[in-house]
Amino acid sequence: MIAVQDIHVTFGRGTPLEKHALRGIDLTIPEGQFVTVIGSNGAGKSTFLGALAGDVLAERGRIAIDDTDVTRWDTPRRAGLVARVFQDPMAGSCAALTIEENMALAAARGRRRGLALALGGDRRRGFQERIAALGLGLETRLQDRMGLLSGGQRQAVSLLMAALAGSKILLLDEHTAALDPATADFVLDLTRRIVRENRLTTLMVIHSMRQALDYGDRTLMLHEGRIVLDVAGEERAGLDVPHLLALFARQRGGAEISDDSLLIG
Amino acid sequence: MSEIALFGAVEIGLVYALVAVGVFLSFRVLDFPDLTVDGSFPLGAAVCAVLLIAGVNPWLASLAAALAGAAAGLVTALLNVRFKILHLLASILTMIALFSVNLRVMGRPNVALLMQDTVLTPFYGLGIPDHIVRPLVVLVIVAAVVALLARFLASEFGLAMRATGVNARMARAQGIDTDAHVYAGIALSNALCGLAGALFAQTNGFADVTTGIGTIVVGLAAVIVGETVLPARGLALMLVGCVAGSILYRLAVQFALSADAIGLQASDLNLVTALLVAVALILPRLKAKAGVRKTGGSAAR
Ligand SMILES: Nc1ncnc2c1ncn2[C@@H]1O[C@H](COP(=O)(O)OP(=O)(O)O)[C@@H](O)[C@H]1O
Ligand SMILES: [Mg+2]
Repeated sequence: MIAVQDIHVTFGRGTPLEKHALRGIDLTIPEGQFVTVIGSNGAGKSTFLGALAGDVLAERGRIAIDDTDVTRWDTPRRAGLVARVFQDPMAGSCAALTIEENMALAAARGRRRGLALALGGDRRRGFQERIAALGLGLETRLQDRMGLLSGGQRQAVSLLMAALAGSKILLLDEHTAALDPATADFVLDLTRRIVRENRLTTLMVIHSMRQALDYGDRTLMLHEGRIVLDVAGEERAGLDVPHLLALFARQRGGAEISDDSLLIG
Repeated sequence: MSEIALFGAVEIGLVYALVAVGVFLSFRVLDFPDLTVDGSFPLGAAVCAVLLIAGVNPWLASLAAALAGAAAGLVTALLNVRFKILHLLASILTMIALFSVNLRVMGRPNVALLMQDTVLTPFYGLGIPDHIVRPLVVLVIVAAVVALLARFLASEFGLAMRATGVNARMARAQGIDTDAHVYAGIALSNALCGLAGALFAQTNGFADVTTGIGTIVVGLAAVIVGETVLPARGLALMLVGCVAGSILYRLAVQFALSADAIGLQASDLNLVTALLVAVALILPRLKAKAGVRKTGGSAAR
C-alpha cells in the first residue's frame, strides 16, 4: 500500500527558474492496485514517481509504504520496497554488464550485498528459467552484454528484473515511449502479466489515453502538480477518450483545453 | 639486452602490475580518474621502509603500506563524494598533500634498506640467482592479489561496484549505496598502489619521495597495453591483461633504452610514456571518426 499526504516538490527554490512541480498530492493506493497516470508534458508525472522512489525528496508532506514512513529515505534505501523501469531503455540496466549480471544486481535489491559469488549456486539456472518465460529466446544469451539487446528486449528484461527481488511496488515511467508500436504493445502485455503474477501495486505513467483506460484498474490525471482526475471502477469502465477530455476540462473549471495540450492515443 | 636487464624489466613490470590493476579499478571499473596513485605509491614505499627499519615483520610492513594507501584513497573519495570536488582535482589535492606526508613519514627524502629483512629474504640463497628470485616472488604475490581481486569483483559487492561505475542511477534504483562503493573502490585501488610501493622499496632497497612522479601514467600505459594485446571481456582476463601490459610496457622501455641507435636516456622515460598514453587515448577516437565517416548517414538510426 502507498499512502501519500500533501507532498510538495519545488525545483530550483529561490532561483529565477523556481518550479513548484508538485503542489499537494494526496493519494492512497491499496495493495495490488494497478494505477495508470496521464497528464500533459511537465505536469509532474515523473517528479511524482521520483518522489515515490526517493530521487526527489518532498519538502512537505508524508509518504508511507506499507505503513512505514519513508519520506526521508533515499533511493537505495527505498529500493527494497520499490522497483522501477525507466523510459530510456539504457537507463534501467547496465549496458556494459551481461544480462545475467544485470539480473543478479536486481535479485539482490534490498538485501545486503556480501562477498558471496553474484552468480553462484543455481542462480544462473533460475535466471534462465525466468528469462525463457519471456518467449524472446534470450535464455541462450545470458552471457551477452545488455547493450547488445534491442530497446524492447531491454525493457522486457528490466520488467523481469523489477519482479526478481520480491518488492511489492512497481513504478513505470513511460517505459514504452521509446519503442515502436508493436514492441510497445508487447511490453505492455508483458507488464500486465508480470503485475498480475506478482500481485504488484503499480503506477504506470503512459502517453496514450486509450492505453491508460485499457490497462490497470484506476486512472489518475496530473496537471500542474496536482491530481485533477481520479477514476476507477464503473465510472472508469464507462469512459472513453473524449469523455476523459471533457472530464478533464470540467475539473479545470470548465475551460476548454486544446487537444495538443494532452496527448491523445 | 642482458639477461639481468631482462629479468629486471620483468620484475619492475610485476611490481607496477599492482598499480596497473589499481588504476584499472579506478579508471575502468569505477570510471573515476584518480591521480592519488602518484602519492599512494611512494607512501606505501615510505611506510614499508620506515617500518622495516624499525624491525617490523616485512609482511606486516607491507600490509601497513597497503592500509596507508587505502587511507589516502579514502581522503580522495571523501573530497569527491562528500564535498563534491571534481574527482581529478580531489585526487590532485591528495597527491600534493601526500608529498609532504611522505617526507614526514621518512623524515628525509630518501631511505635506504641495506641490512633489513624483506619479504624476499627467505627466498635468497635457495640456489636460484637473486635476479630471478625477485621477479618470482613478486609474481607469486601479484598472482595471489589478482586472483583475490577477480573473486572480489565477481561477488555481489564487487558486482555492485561495477554497476556503480557503469550506471550509477540504475545502481541506486537497485538499492546500491553508490557512495559506499566509490569509497571502497578508491580505497582498494590505492591499497594496491601502496602495496606496489612496498614491493618497490623491498626489491630496490630504497624508498624515495620522488619515485611517485608519473606512477599514474605508467599504470595507465600498462592498462592500455594490456587492453590492446588481450582484448577480453571477462573481468579475470582483463586483470591478467593489466599484468601482461605492465610487463610488456617495461620490456619495451628496457628495449628502447638499451638500443643505442634510438639514443634514449633513462630520463626520457616519462616523456616516452606520456606520448604512448596520449597516442593510445587518441587512436580510438580517430578510429571512431573514420568509422562514422565510412557508415555515413546510416549511423543516424
Ligand atoms: N531536476 C529538475 N530541475 C528543475 N526542474 C525540473 C526538474 N525536473 C523536472 N522539472 C520541472 O518540473 C516540472 C514537472 O516535470 P516532470 O515531472 O518531468 O513532468 P512530466 O513527467 O509530467 O512531463 C516541469 O516543469 C519540469 O521542467
Ligand atoms: Mg516525464
